[in-house]
Amino acid sequence: MKGSFNMIDCGVGGQGVVMMANIVGEACVRAGLRVISGELHGLSQRNGSVIAHQRIGETAISPLVPYGEADVILSLEPMEALRYLYFLKPGGLVITNTNMIHPPTETQMLAKGEKERYVRYDEVVERIRASGARIVEVDALELAREAGNPQTENVVMVGALAAVPEIPVGKEHMLEAVKDNVPKNALDVNVRAFELGYGSFKPGT
Amino acid sequence: MAFKYITEKGPARAYMMANEAVVRAALESDVKVYSTYPGSPTVEILSTFEGALKHYDLRMELSVNEKVALETAAGASFVGMRSFVSMKSVGVNVASDALYVLAYTGVKGGCVLLLADDPHAHSSQSEQDGRWFGYTSYLPMFDPSSPQEAYDMVKEAYDLSERYSTLVLLRTTTRVNHQSGIVDIQMMNRTPIKKSDWGNDHNYTAVGVTARAGKLDMLRKMEEMKGFSEGTPFNRLQYFDGEDLHEGAPPRDEGYELGIVTSGVPYNYTVEALGKLGIRARILKIGLINPVPSRKISEFLAPLKKVMVVEELSPYLEGFIRGICKDANPSVELMGKGFGPFTEYSEYNIPMLVEALSLASGRPMPFDYRSHVKKMETLADILPIRPPGFCAGCPHRGTFTSLKRAIGSTPIFFSNDIGCYTMLVLPPIEWSDSQLCMGASLGIAAGVNYGANNKVVCAIGDSTLFHAGIPGIANAVHNKHDLTLVVLHNSVTAMTGQQTHPAHELTVAGKEGISIDIERMLRGLGIEKIVNLNAFEIRKNLKLMKEALDFKGVSAIISHGECALYHFRNLRREGAQPVPFYVDREICKRPYNCIKDFLCPAISIDERDGTSRIAPEICVGCGECAQMCGFGAIKSTATLHGGENKVYYTKADHDEFLRSKEVGK
Ligand SMILES: Cc1ncc(C[n+]2csc(CCOP(=O)(O)OP(=O)(O)O)c2C)c(N)n1
Repeated sequence: MKGSFNMIDCGVGGQGVVMMANIVGEACVRAGLRVISGELHGLSQRNGSVIAHQRIGETAISPLVPYGEADVILSLEPMEALRYLYFLKPGGLVITNTNMIHPPTETQMLAKGEKERYVRYDEVVERIRASGARIVEVDALELAREAGNPQTENVVMVGALAAVPEIPVGKEHMLEAVKDNVPKNALDVNVRAFELGYGSFKPGT
Repeated sequence: MAFKYITEKGPARAYMMANEAVVRAALESDVKVYSTYPGSPTVEILSTFEGALKHYDLRMELSVNEKVALETAAGASFVGMRSFVSMKSVGVNVASDALYVLAYTGVKGGCVLLLADDPHAHSSQSEQDGRWFGYTSYLPMFDPSSPQEAYDMVKEAYDLSERYSTLVLLRTTTRVNHQSGIVDIQMMNRTPIKKSDWGNDHNYTAVGVTARAGKLDMLRKMEEMKGFSEGTPFNRLQYFDGEDLHEGAPPRDEGYELGIVTSGVPYNYTVEALGKLGIRARILKIGLINPVPSRKISEFLAPLKKVMVVEELSPYLEGFIRGICKDANPSVELMGKGFGPFTEYSEYNIPMLVEALSLASGRPMPFDYRSHVKKMETLADILPIRPPGFCAGCPHRGTFTSLKRAIGSTPIFFSNDIGCYTMLVLPPIEWSDSQLCMGASLGIAAGVNYGANNKVVCAIGDSTLFHAGIPGIANAVHNKHDLTLVVLHNSVTAMTGQQTHPAHELTVAGKEGISIDIERMLRGLGIEKIVNLNAFEIRKNLKLMKEALDFKGVSAIISHGECALYHFRNLRREGAQPVPFYVDREICKRPYNCIKDFLCPAISIDERDGTSRIAPEICVGCGECAQMCGFGAIKSTATLHGGENKVYYTKADHDEFLRSKEVGK
């Protein structure tokens, strides 16, 4: 069987992981590619950890990426990229938002003196690199603010994804899918967010 | 959105989630009535139908519970309308009283029930295997593995339903419901709704003599449907030649001594795993899992040396296969539950199938999944857990903060129920002594009353109250139990996506209904001691809560406060933005009362000076945390713009804030 291009989208409930996956899925269809996505809606969307799987290509038929076989992890939050690293293939690419969201459970541990400090961004990145992954860092919150709405972080990330050379979907298809998925009255902000994300891309190191 | 494929005339190639594809298929099948009670993983079926209402002549009802939903669909069918009803796995337990009898009475208009199992209990109270409902109720049941198949099966189900006058079941699992993929949709041909005049030429009853007649009728239909099961392409033979998947039987027998019987999403995992190992196998994919195609299975088994049964949860298919093997091929080696990684626990996936097939074939694993996962998990061991929890601005946070304080050190039994407040069960809060299923808090309380001296406190959401709480209340009042019922009146069924329920003024798609007054209802049920609270007023509520807790008998605390997701989404639609709070770092003394056991996702600690910090993009300005601070360090950001230090909750509040901002300039 021929291979497939596998992706993991992840983040924190409320950040728009499912919408991010929808955009990528529809962009694939526009590009004439077969795609299957597996999402989880429900309990985890209440500020929990959220993950979606995407398989692009003729032969993939399962909604789950096998462990160690994702080509890309696209993460709206750095710790979530590390959490799902076991899906990434050796040497795969992690595209992550740099903005850490500390869960209330962690904050409470600090407040109660059960932990000295928060997990730091640098530690997370170091762990991701130690796995052999390449990493692309995107300050999505800052770019989303620049676009005009901090809630467009997910579209910024899709923009960054569209700039990755090995992604089988072109920029135009991705942008069309963005336009299709966002509220009509927020089209301009989202297009700006997408372009800012696209422009921010630097090849992974 | 994929919603465009719902309004599309067709035929077309669509990208849809299975939950959308089944709606498309139902609409193409001219379904006129849809009823449901929300539950994951079926919620997008509900929202897709709701969106379809303004495009098609269609009736939809958010029923009070699953039993009523099924009865509603059945009633519509009795008078000749095609109907569709969906619910989660455990919802069928509630509906099953009607379900078993419906198999006896039969139906008229095509009637399809989608029931969605949730292996791994991602969003459910159990991993219950709904396939047994088909078998034990004598109703035909489909088990799709992809959005396309779910779509095709719904269309077939309407034919089958009317051909045999039977309710037809479509059983899905989370990984099917939430799977998106390519679906080839057909023409949308619909007719307008025309009510008939009931002519009473046939009745739908089952008791004594009519039940026995119904049973015989049902058995006859089942017998006939066995023929259908043998012939339907949903039960199909395939083979994998080591590289590709083909339809039918392999051209020769040698090299095909392994056969695999599978259904649902495990089929997908199986095919991909065969590809990874490059091995040959015959496949029998069973799409109609009741009645199973016994003859087809028997023929499939005959030439095999080994047969593997690939199914999640209980050994449902395996039982049939075992029975059929005895005649068809007694020496075949059967690999089912207990073989390699196969258990009755949780979900399957590709790595598990690769492992099982590697064991069965002797081919080495192409990749060491286990040690890879272990290595990566070790790298991730610095991460804090991120369990789901209450949103910023959630009224439940306020209610339970006051409740915990009002109870103090009194040893109580906390009988919890099903809704967003069930998250109290999870770490790090872990506060609940029991939690079973919807409405159970009250029945459990009755029993606890007989066996323990403690005060029992029950927590129940407004939707759950109507769904299954009322019988438990009547029971508690009538039998003179001693409990305090906390009703969380957040206006919606929050956990499943903020649907309305009988206490709301609206029904579906903004249509007006009659809102039932919860307090009057509780009074009508005989509760004498009732206190009403504003969920967000943490301090003020203590005294009132204590009053209710001290009452001997059944008392109720109704805690009012809209679900934050619902409230602020509506507020944004009205063109307003929440006015967040902030921490004045000069005042903050760092006792962290706004953090400990409060767990608001908007609040963290600023590591530069250890003060608390509120993220303005997450905070909605509910003001609960400000009451937790003994130093007055938490204030509305309105104060920074010349506004008052208060909660700006409604559109009117917001307009006032905007005006003060103007004045401040
Ligand atoms: C029998 C059954 N049907 C549906 C569900 C799905 N479900 C889980 S939580 C929930 C919401 C209950 O709403 P409510 O009691 O108002 O609490 P809220 O989430 O609003 O706090 C539902 C319907 C279930 N678990 N069991």
